[in-house]
Amino acid sequence: MSIDWNGLPDEEFRAVFRAWVLDNCPAELRYLRKQRPVYEEVEQWYQALAEKGWLAPVWPREYGGMGLSPAKHMIYVEEWGRLGCPRIPDHGISLTGPLLIHHGSEAQKTEFLPKIISGEHIWCQGYSEPNAGSDLASLRTSAVLDGDAFVVNGQKIWTTLAHCANWIFVLVRTDREAKPQRGISVLLVDMTSPGVEVRTIENLRGEADFCEVFFDNVRVPAHNLVGALNDGWTLAKSVLGHERIFLGSPTRAEYALDRLGKLASDRGAFEDAAFVSRYARLRLDLYDLGSSYERYAKVLRSGGELGADVSVLKIFATELYQRITEEMLTLAQEEARFNDDLLIEGGQIDAMNLFLDARAPAIFGGSNEIQRNILAKAVLGLPS
Amino acid sequence: MPQLIMADEDGVLEMLRDSVAAFAQGRPGPQSLRRLRGAEADLDLAQWQEMAAAGWVGLMLPEALGGADLGIRQQAVISHALGQALIASPIATASVLSSALLTRVADSPERQRLAAGLVQGTCIVVPAVTAGSDGEAVTARLLAGGVLLDGRRGFIEAARSASDFLLLARAGDEDLLVSVPGNAEGLERADRPGVDGGVISSLRLSNCLVAGERILARGDLRGMLEASINLARTALAAELAGIASQAFALTRQYTIDRKQFGKPLASFQVLQHRLVDLWAEAEFACSAVVNAVERLEQGHEREARLAVYAAKARAGDAAAFVGRQAIHLFGAMGFTDECDIGLYLKRAINLGAALGQPESLRVQFIQEERAA
Repeated sequence: MSIDWNGLPDEEFRAVFRAWVLDNCPAELRYLRKQRPVYEEVEQWYQALAEKGWLAPVWPREYGGMGLSPAKHMIYVEEWGRLGCPRIPDHGISLTGPLLIHHGSEAQKTEFLPKIISGEHIWCQGYSEPNAGSDLASLRTSAVLDGDAFVVNGQKIWTTLAHCANWIFVLVRTDREAKPQRGISVLLVDMTSPGVEVRTIENLRGEADFCEVFFDNVRVPAHNLVGALNDGWTLAKSVLGHERIFLGSPTRAEYALDRLGKLASDRGAFEDAAFVSRYARLRLDLYDLGSSYERYAKVLRSGGELGADVSVLKIFATELYQRITEEMLTLAQEEARFNDDLLIEGGQIDAMNLFLDARAPAIFGGSNEIQRNILAKAVLGLPS
Repeated sequence: MPQLIMADEDGVLEMLRDSVAAFAQGRPGPQSLRRLRGAEADLDLAQWQEMAAAGWVGLMLPEALGGADLGIRQQAVISHALGQALIASPIATASVLSSALLTRVADSPERQRLAAGLVQGTCIVVPAVTAGSDGEAVTARLLAGGVLLDGRRGFIEAARSASDFLLLARAGDEDLLVSVPGNAEGLERADRPGVDGGVISSLRLSNCLVAGERILARGDLRGMLEASINLARTALAAELAGIASQAFALTRQYTIDRKQFGKPLASFQVLQHRLVDLWAEAEFACSAVVNAVERLEQGHEREARLAVYAAKARAGDAAAFVGRQAIHLFGAMGFTDECDIGLYLKRAINLGAALGQPESLRVQFIQEERAA
C-alpha cells in the first residue's frame, strides 16, 4: 500500500474506488433493505475492505488507515452511498479509532487499533442513558477506582449494535462532586467481562439495531482509561470532526425520492397536477440540499474547517427525508395500511419501511432541536 | 450573516459589495422606495443614473459595447447587495436582461446606440419580451417603411421612463426583436401600482410603425430569449436572497434588542428555533444562487437552466417566508407602514412573482428533468 491516495486527481480516485467496490462488494449485500446489518451479515465485505487496507479511510497510514484528506473522504463516502454498499459496524473505525489516535496512550494504540482493522474487535458506543439523552452531561453510570481497576455500575441505552459488539467505549462519571460536564471519563470495556449484560430493543421497523447495556460491578483495568481522568466530556465532543457533514448527507433523501418517483410513475401520478406540485417541492428541496452540501464540501476540499453552521444540513436533510416518505404514504392511498412492500411493475417499493426509518435520523446524532439550539448560540449568537 | 460565498482571488467581489454598501449610505434604499411611492413614479432616475455612474448598469455588456464585460458572478454579488440594502431598481430587467439581449444580437448602429445609452444611464432600455399572463402577444407586419406592430405586453417595469422598449414580436413564422421608442405613436401605456410602491405597466400597440433599422434580430429567437431571461432570473434570485439575508439580520437584531418579561425576545427558545429556520432559508437561498452562477459559468445549457429555476424558486420563497415571519416577530410594529421590515416583504413578493414565480418554476424544472 504505497499509493498516495490524496495525490490522485479526484476523478481518478473516484474511478479506482468505484471499480474496486463493484468487484468486491457482494451483489447481494448492495442496496440492503436493512439499515444496520450485524457483523456476521457483512463479514465478507468488512474483510475485503480490511485486506485491501480501505476499512479506515481517515486513519493515518501508520495505523493501517488510508490517510484520506477530507476531500477524498467525501468521495469515498459518496461512492459508498451511490453504490448501495451496506453499512458496516463502524463505531470502531469512525469513533474508537480517532479517539485513541488523538487521545489514547501508545499502549492503547498498539493494542486496539490493529484489532479494529482486522475485525477482531467490533466496537459500540455507550453514551446515552435512560435519563441522559440529549442532556448527556447528566449521565450517572459510575466508575470507582478500586486498586488497579475501575468498578463500573449503571446502564446505557440506545447503544447501536451492542449485541454484536465485543468492546464498548463508555462515558462514565468518575467524580460526583464536580459540575455536570466535569467529572466524566472515557473507559474502554471488554463486553465479555463478568457483569456486562446486553438486551436488544426492537425498533419501529421491527429490527433490533439498538440495545440496553447493563453494568453490574464490572471491573475494568485502570489502564483502559482514555486521556485524563475527568476529562471525558472534552474527548467525547472532539471525536467528530469534519465527519459532521455526513449527518447532513443527501443520500437517504436521494434514495427515498428515487423510490417515490418509481412509485409515482407506476401509479400514473405524474399525470396529476396536484401530485406534480408536491413532488416538485420535494425534488427541488433535494436539489437545493445538494447545492448547500456542496458549499460545505468545498470548504473541506480547499483545506478549510467546518463551523457549527454545518448543523443546518442535518436538520434539512433529515426533515426532507421524512417528508418524502410521508408523500409515499399519501401516494399509496389505502395501501398505506399495509406493513409489507408496495408492488409495482417489475419490483417493489418499501414505502412503510422508509417511512418508519425516517423517524430516526431526526432524533439521533443530536436531535434536530439540539441542532437548532447549537445554531442559535454558536452561529446566530442569540442571548440566553 | 447569509452571504454569497464564492471564490474571490482578486478581491473584485468584495470591492463590489463595499461599493454597494457605500452607495446605500448616501441613498438609503427604504427612503428612496418611499419617495418613489409618494411620487407615484416608476423609476428613481437620479438613483439609476448614479448606479450607472458606479458602473453597475450594463455591467455584463462586452467592452466593445461600452460595458465592463463582467460575468453573472459579479452581477449576482451586486444584486445580492442591492437586495440587502433594499435599493429598488429595475436592475434585473433594464440592465441584465436588456444587456443580455443586446449582447446576443448582431451589431448595428441601433445596437451601438442602445448599449451606449444603457451604460451611461441616458437611455432607459426596458425589455418587453415576455408574454403577459393573458397569453396575448405582439404581431408584426414587415412593410417597406418599417415594421407595423399590434398587440399587448404586460408586466413592464419603468415603462413610463423608458426611452426604448426591446420588444419581441411575431411576424409569420419568425420572431422579431424590435427597439420601440418610448414615445412611439400607436403605443399606449396602462399603469398599475406595484405592491412595493413602484409602478408596473402594460403596453398596447395599435398600428405602431417602427423604422426598419430598429429591427435588432429576426428568426427563431427563442434560445436567445430564454438564455437572456435566465440571466435576469439569476439576478432576481440574487436580489431576493439579499432581501432574505437582510430581513433575517434585521429581525435577529430586533429580537435581541426588544425586551419583554425582563428578557430579550431572542432568549426564548421558541423564537430562537424560528430564527434558526429563517437563517437557514436565507442560507439555502444564497447557496442556490451560487449554484446557479457556477452552472451558468460551466456552460452546460440544461444544467444551467435547471439551476436557475431552482435558485429563483428557492430565493423567492425564502424572501417571502423570511419577510412574513419577520413582520410577525416585529409584532405590531411590523404591521406599521413606518417600520421598514414590511418593505422587504413587499419587495420580495414583487420580485418573487417576476419572470416566473416559485411554483411554476418548480413545475418547469420537473417537466424538463423528466423529459430528458
